[in-house]
Amino acid sequence: MQRDLRLDNVGRRYGLRGPWVLRGIHLTVPPGTLIRIEGPNGTGKSTLLRLLARIDAPSEGRVSGAPRTAYVPERFPTALPFTALGYLTHLGTVHGLSRPAATRAALEWLDRFGAAPYARTPMAQLSKGSSQKVAVVQALLAEPELLVLDEAWTGLDSDARAELERAVAERTAGGTAVVFVDHDPRRLAGVPDATYTVRDSGLDLRTEQPPEEAAGPRVTVVAQGPSGGQLPGDAQRAVVAAEEPAPGTHRLTVPASHSDILLRALLTARPPWHVVSVRQEPAGPDTESRR
Amino acid sequence: MTALLRYQAALLVRSQRWLPPFLLYVVFLGIGVQGGQPILDSLGYTAAALLPVTAWLVRICVTNEPPAARSCVSAAVGPGRAHLAALLVALGTAVALGVVATVVVTLISNPASADLQTRVPRLPAGAAGLLAVLACALLGTAVGALTTWPLLRSTGRAIPAMLLAALLSVVVTGSPAQAAVSGLVTGSNSGRVPMPVLPLAAAALLTAAAIAVACALTSRRSP
Repeated sequence: MQRDLRLDNVGRRYGLRGPWVLRGIHLTVPPGTLIRIEGPNGTGKSTLLRLLARIDAPSEGRVSGAPRTAYVPERFPTALPFTALGYLTHLGTVHGLSRPAATRAALEWLDRFGAAPYARTPMAQLSKGSSQKVAVVQALLAEPELLVLDEAWTGLDSDARAELERAVAERTAGGTAVVFVDHDPRRLAGVPDATYTVRDSGLDLRTEQPPEEAAGPRVTVVAQGPSGGQLPGDAQRAVVAAEEPAPGTHRLTVPASHSDILLRALLTARPPWHVVSVRQEPAGPDTESRR
Repeated sequence: MTALLRYQAALLVRSQRWLPPFLLYVVFLGIGVQGGQPILDSLGYTAAALLPVTAWLVRICVTNEPPAARSCVSAAVGPGRAHLAALLVALGTAVALGVVATVVVTLISNPASADLQTRVPRLPAGAAGLLAVLACALLGTAVGALTTWPLLRSTGRAIPAMLLAALLSVVVTGSPAQAAVSGLVTGSNSGRVPMPVLPLAAAALLTAAAIAVACALTSRRSP
């Protein structure tokens, strides 16, 4: 089965004679890529994401490729007659897991997002943020091949936002393609493989470098590897800055969301690297000047 | 598909929105069927009353899931399959309801023709009643599927359209449901048990087409 999702000259409008929301869109989403979609409100970002998740069919053009897809809507309803765990178990089985596996994965992910205490609370009694966590967990628990996030961070507390960034980093390292929309420019800053802007119902690839102040929190790892050794593949992709102050000693900087990916790559490399120190750098423009 | 059906069924049962159509059916039967009446007449009524109830159940199953939750399921399995599951759960519920009603009506009715002169055996009569109930449940599903999202979105138009279509499917000559029900009624007059196989087949074909149209449109209409 073809895992690349491709949009060929795709257009979408609502109704037979409605105005075109999107037109002439060409986009390929290979496995393992992280794509950010930007644009002001009401320009068709959500429509594009619905086309990518294949919830909507294009009015013209062609969408091909059938990755196993999970979707997180921007606002998740609480009007579902289930407990959080009950709903997630159902969705896990819909995504193809067995019932016990779905329950296990749901509990694990709820715990990661700090929502374990609400597992047996009826959805109707959940706060907006907690129900958004349920929406996020629903998408992550079956390890999809394509993850579509429509402002999934909105409404989450800061711990859960960071956890979702780490989960996205983990999934992309595991081969999942992730497409997301978010209004915070620091969201996964510096990480996406491509950033597109929806403009005049078309799609522009953003080529200029993002402004420096958009950098998110970073983590610096000092590690010792085989002399003259090449960084392991996954580490190479995650790292935004690397220097070698002494032979065999490397100072590697990654976005905070990718620290686990880097450490895993270093420690599981053959031969393994030795991690000397891990330090979190504060976010913001002063990161560069202090060094 | 099993997981999807299970999810939709749980959604219907736990939402408790099945209760009003269920009660409506009980009331229908309470008014129209009494113990000791000619069996085929009562079975015909049982089948006919099921059609609008089924259409209502379909409407409930399709509108039960909030759009954002439906999007999550649609992304996982495709919007057509997600919609199909909702329609099948409504159909299954209606069939279960109709089968129970048919068994009860078969047991409490008088196994005789309308003029009480000819004996009508219970078992074949019950079987004919089951076929008619199936035909009506199928056609009710078609009516429901064609008069709700994604075909009709505004409630103000959808509900009158559903009621009118359900009424017409029961009374207009040429409708498989009407054929099945009137077959039972004429059978009751003559004392011969009809087997409404042809109406059932026609109803199955019509419903399959209606379901196909509804499922195909799910990804083309806005939520």
